[in-house]
Amino acid sequence: MHRLRYSIGVLTLLAAALCALWFVRILKNQDERPGLSVRVEFRDARGLRSGADVRYRGVSVGTVRSVSIAGDGRKATVGMLLDPIGAAQACVNSVFWIVTPRFAGITTGASGLDTLVRDSYVTFQTPGERGSPLADGSLLAGREKPPPASDPEVLDEIEHGDLLMSVLVPENHGLRPGSAVIYRGQQTGDVRSVELAPDGSHVEVKLRIARKHRQTVTDKSFFWVARPAVTGALLSGFTLNDVSALLTPYVSYYSEPGKGVPVEDGHRVAAQPMRPSFEVAAVPKEALQPRPRPDPAPGANGIVVVRIVYDAIERDTWSADDPVRGEGSGLLLLAHDGRALVVTARSVVDGSVTTRDAFGRDPQIDDERTKVMLPDGSVLRAVRIWVHPDGSDFAVLLLEDVPPDLCASAGERLTFEGNESIVAGNVLRASADGSTLAGAALDTLSEVAALGGAVLVNERAVGIVGAGRKIVPLTSLPADLRPR
Amino acid sequence: MTRAVAPALEFRGFGLAHRRPGVEDVLLADVDLTLAEGRFYLFVGASGGGKSSVLRVLAGLVETREPAPRISGELLAWGRSIVGDDLSALQGSVAAILQDEGLLDELSPRENVELALRAAERSRLLAPGLLAQAGLVDPPARTAQLSGGMRKRLAVARALASSPRLLLCDEPTAGLDEDAARRIARLLRDAHEQDPGRTTIVITHDLDAFEGLTDGVLVLDRAARSLRLEAPDHRPDSKTAAAPAPDPVAGEPAPVHGLRRVLLQTAAVFETLVESLRRLPPVEFGQVARTVARFSTEPAPFVALAGAVIGGLATFFALNNNPVEGGFESALLTGTGKVATAVLVPLLSGFFFTARIVAGAAARLGTMKRTNQVAALQMMGVRPADWLLTPLVWGMVIGMPLVTFAGVVAAAVAGAFAAATVSGFSTVGWAHAWFATVDTRDVLVVLVKSALSGYLVAIACYHLGTGPKRSSADVGEAVNRAIVVGTGLVLTVHAVGTFVVYA
Repeated sequence: MHRLRYSIGVLTLLAAALCALWFVRILKNQDERPGLSVRVEFRDARGLRSGADVRYRGVSVGTVRSVSIAGDGRKATVGMLLDPIGAAQACVNSVFWIVTPRFAGITTGASGLDTLVRDSYVTFQTPGERGSPLADGSLLAGREKPPPASDPEVLDEIEHGDLLMSVLVPENHGLRPGSAVIYRGQQTGDVRSVELAPDGSHVEVKLRIARKHRQTVTDKSFFWVARPAVTGALLSGFTLNDVSALLTPYVSYYSEPGKGVPVEDGHRVAAQPMRPSFEVAAVPKEALQPRPRPDPAPGANGIVVVRIVYDAIERDTWSADDPVRGEGSGLLLLAHDGRALVVTARSVVDGSVTTRDAFGRDPQIDDERTKVMLPDGSVLRAVRIWVHPDGSDFAVLLLEDVPPDLCASAGERLTFEGNESIVAGNVLRASADGSTLAGAALDTLSEVAALGGAVLVNERAVGIVGAGRKIVPLTSLPADLRPR
Repeated sequence: MTRAVAPALEFRGFGLAHRRPGVEDVLLADVDLTLAEGRFYLFVGASGGGKSSVLRVLAGLVETREPAPRISGELLAWGRSIVGDDLSALQGSVAAILQDEGLLDELSPRENVELALRAAERSRLLAPGLLAQAGLVDPPARTAQLSGGMRKRLAVARALASSPRLLLCDEPTAGLDEDAARRIARLLRDAHEQDPGRTTIVITHDLDAFEGLTDGVLVLDRAARSLRLEAPDHRPDSKTAAAPAPDPVAGEPAPVHGLRRVLLQTAAVFETLVESLRRLPPVEFGQVARTVARFSTEPAPFVALAGAVIGGLATFFALNNNPVEGGFESALLTGTGKVATAVLVPLLSGFFFTARIVAGAAARLGTMKRTNQVAALQMMGVRPADWLLTPLVWGMVIGMPLVTFAGVVAAAVAGAFAAATVSGFSTVGWAHAWFATVDTRDVLVVLVKSALSGYLVAIACYHLGTGPKRSSADVGEAVNRAIVVGTGLVLTVHAVGTFVVYA
């Protein structure tokens, strides 16, 4: 009797034992889960406890397994297990440090404040140039302090069209990556890196100016590192400038309106030693006019208009030289030989036709600089290669250093024949930041606003708006400059 | 003996011994005896001599969680061996009226008979006839109201419901006065004669009550460890009755006996688990519905009160002892809300539910086991799992989450009240903070935790309640264990569940 029951009892006990073993195994595996075991030595473990997080970019990618004193008693060894994700990010030149609350001073601020309410943790950074991957059981030397945030990856991503430039300063006054770049009291960009020149002669501060603000930087802009300064004299009274830089220094700059041309990426400029004395230009009257709203979908399929800024100097023998400036739009196209051309009004890009010298004679124009801002925000240098021989307000610019992915007007969208008598049409223009504005009827635009704009009839570009809102047909373009 | 009769039971070299640690109490040895079909036998012998044990072997009611009595030789019923591994070989052909009658107290007398009829696949309409035949024309509505004699009559009526070929009675006249005893004896004889093929064996000490009604007397001689058949007018002499029990012989060593117990207990746990799953689709719908309704409602006010106290106090202390003066109150409320909703109140609701329900259920099961009600169910052919385990499982699996939900809601209401009192939170502000991090997953986890712990608690309760019960103390012990094991299971499920999901 009960023989079957005894067998069931034995089997159940065996099953229970197996379950128990399996459970123990799982618990053990918890300790032996896949990952990379790494030891890092610190002079001071700063109260780190086993079980603390190991983080990469703020994400937990491992656990501190042990904190012990190294054999010689001079270091603390922190054993940690990196998850496969963390292990993939760590390499021999990764920098490990322990995050605890720190207060580094008034200029750089406090860090690790999140550890005031949570445990300390270990974090690491891997430089852009990765070393070889870590082997299991590697021993690394940790840093005692967080590295200066020199890694541009901790900053916002650079977007296409952003201006990247350098400001050279004689001395760093607390600037660090992430410091603000300010124009007229408004942040337009940030500091990407601060490095001492190899020869020690200056400090190079790399800046990023957001694309929509890049036209605020011209070759006439002046830069300084903002820090509080008291100017004035005992009798005339004092002026306190840049007080807001007391806690966080920043880079500031100013561009006189209507002076200079936008700069290209890689522009380098020396900063003023102190905030120069200048009057900020008042709000121009035009700003009070309602602003044309950028068309979200310009409806100019295949027609690319660009912003052109022209800058030159008219030399006078008997008086001071005068700056010459031109601004307008232009039509971007590719000639049949592949060169990138911009067709625009000559009065935008040729100082010799817009100015006269003091005696009403042809002026002497020097130092001509023409910059073209593409719809994507990038700025290219351009030279004038052709003007209309019969005096029509029509010129052709050749773009230099054209990127291979340049997007120009499609040939079939341009009309090169039989439009001698165009008097009206929709005008496509580029705004100050390079983006295309919605098409507007020619008679609704001011002469300045329309200058160089592409005239559309039946969705095809037929001409360019010249001075006096006269339309110069594209038939003026020589055959060898036309698209294929 | 004028007519040739076929043997109903044949003992061939039959031996029966109770195993105890280290020793064996040999009750019978080398018994060779044939009992003819259609006879009415009395079964006499000294108390504790093993009559009931023989009867249980015949009825297939050998306790499965203890080492079975050692049986040697053969015991045949109508030519078929009945002492193999299949203990219910005779099921359907045998009915036993055990000590305490094993009447189901929760059913009315009539329902008791109807259940037996249903189990034997006979019409329920036969119940009044059977009751009348047993002398119960208009029985009281509740079985508990029956007198001793009426209980015996009801037991007879119920036993006859399956028209058994072999009717076994254990002390049917115990505790009755002379007249009543005689009437019961007469009733048994009448019942016996209803069916010419029926064999009846009645264990009794009251030979006078059965005078003239028997066809033979089986005598169990404890000293000689033998069983013999005597003439109907046999009277045991006082010496035989008073003979001391023979000394036990050496048996299996205690560790082997212990190992047997452990293995059988383990097998029983496994069996209960398998039964709980196999018998999960309800057969006894009424039982299941009643249990679910009872388990879902009865403990709810108690658990809700407990939940409200916990939720209210936790909120009160969190806000009142806020270490950051004037700040982080929403954060404290969010933490309290999450812990109360997802962890603490469900756990304590599980505890309170278990304490409230398991004690009662285990006591009921233990008493049913002790008073042979479980055996009676088996005897009738009703699976105890269908009647007892399945309702318990459904009741707890549905009741535990519902009651837990009541606790969680009460905790939230009390938390809102405390938050308004201590810190002046508006209901909307409180709800924003309290439920800030409570999501669907939390609710699902609570549901799974409470349902799973309800299931395990039901298994434990059934297993412990229906274990062997020799005395009321065993019942009390089973209740104790059910509460301890039940709360332990609740704690384990909640701890493991919470750890797995949130850690």
